[in-house]
Amino acid sequence: MWRPSGVDRSIFAFIGLVLLSLVLVTVDLRASGEGLGGTLRDGVQTAFTPVQQGVGFVTRPVVAFFEGISDLVGIRDENRRLRLQVTDLERQLSETESLQRRVAELEAILAIEPPGELDTVAARVLATGASDFDAIRLIDKGRRDGIAVDMPVIDEGGLIGRVVSVTETSARIRLITDPTMRVAVRVERTGETGILTGRGGGLLQLEMFNTNAALIKGDLLVTADGRFPAGIPVARVAEDAEAEVGFSLITKAAPEAELSRVDYVKVLVFTSDQVGSPAGEDDEPVQPPLETTTTAGTEPGSGTTTSP
Amino acid sequence: MAVALVILGVALQTTLFVRLRPFGASPAIALLVTLAVSRHLGRIPSLLVGFATGLFLDLLSETALGLWALVLTTVAFATVRLRRRFEDDVTLLIPGVFLLSFVGLALYALLGTIFGAQTLADAQVVQKMLLPAVYNTILAPLVLPPITRLIGPRGGGRPGWDR
Repeated sequence: MWRPSGVDRSIFAFIGLVLLSLVLVTVDLRASGEGLGGTLRDGVQTAFTPVQQGVGFVTRPVVAFFEGISDLVGIRDENRRLRLQVTDLERQLSETESLQRRVAELEAILAIEPPGELDTVAARVLATGASDFDAIRLIDKGRRDGIAVDMPVIDEGGLIGRVVSVTETSARIRLITDPTMRVAVRVERTGETGILTGRGGGLLQLEMFNTNAALIKGDLLVTADGRFPAGIPVARVAEDAEAEVGFSLITKAAPEAELSRVDYVKVLVFTSDQVGSPAGEDDEPVQPPLETTTTAGTEPGSGTTTSP
Repeated sequence: MAVALVILGVALQTTLFVRLRPFGASPAIALLVTLAVSRHLGRIPSLLVGFATGLFLDLLSETALGLWALVLTTVAFATVRLRRRFEDDVTLLIPGVFLLSFVGLALYALLGTIFGAQTLADAQVVQKMLLPAVYNTILAPLVLPPITRLIGPRGGGRPGWDR
């Protein structure tokens, strides 16, 4: 009687597992990540989060040591650059304060109510995705802390990404550098709008709707109304750009947030269905918090912040 | 023991390299552990370890379930087919780690694009295949010997994988 040899059995096993994998991929894609796949993901992530927290706790000093060594290089130049930046920011601050006083006076004269600020939830990044192709970060706050899918996530620099899945105790953020991420933005200098698309890391791709409006290197791009609250810094134009006749205006932009070193973040308690809802007597337009910092403690004067 | 090694490998890959990313990349530790374990287990157990590790990675990410399972099963199968040569000529082991890591990541990039993850649209796709393979090669002398000591052949006699 013919029996498959040891080599034949492993080939059959390999083919069987490959087919099983393809079936799983097909079923998961048809279910759009929901159903059994989504349930299993939530369960595994919930069970594995304490392991990641424990390993992260042990390895954090190791990471800090190597980061400290790499930071030593160029520290003197960075110190000089930061001192110049502080001087410039202090000047801008005094100009802004006088503008704020003027706005408050005008609002009082015209009986306009100032926009309300968004609630925020501070969180710490626990883990990264399964590979470098995965532009995902896991944070240590979840559904029980008020986090829901699609909420924007920021750090002190600007927009980091949005929440894509939530368990009771953790949530996954997809970074704006992911190739599947698209953010509607507005050029702060000109008001022109466009779309920022992730390119997997490094610079983002910016495509403008109005090809006649030239861009200058350093132009700040902020979120336009839509999936995110308006006005959050997202990126800066990386090079001067002007569209040629008959061609669209596409250029590169550098993210404002320090995406390669994300540690503490804030989740904005905001969902896109808050945009464009019928205005009632008590409705106020929403605005991101005026101050964005990455400390995990409670901060006065910047909306309601839930500390870890 | 293989299961514990896999869990530890995945935990290290997802936590140690959150901020520690030389040149914007990190090693593929789960792939390296799969490779190391597959050198010593039986043929079918090696394939099952590769499949389970990949499935574990899929459940911790937002890509399609089964993608990493397919990739790591393939890596385990390739390791099973090549391990006798590694045992005969140890100098082939380090280039073998680089090649299997690179091929595994390239396969993921290709399949990810086919199944909607747009991995090939990544501007740094070559860097994300090459650098983790290089890091795996550098880490191989630190990872492979301890795993060999833990689950490799004990005492004399034929290695346990030859079944």
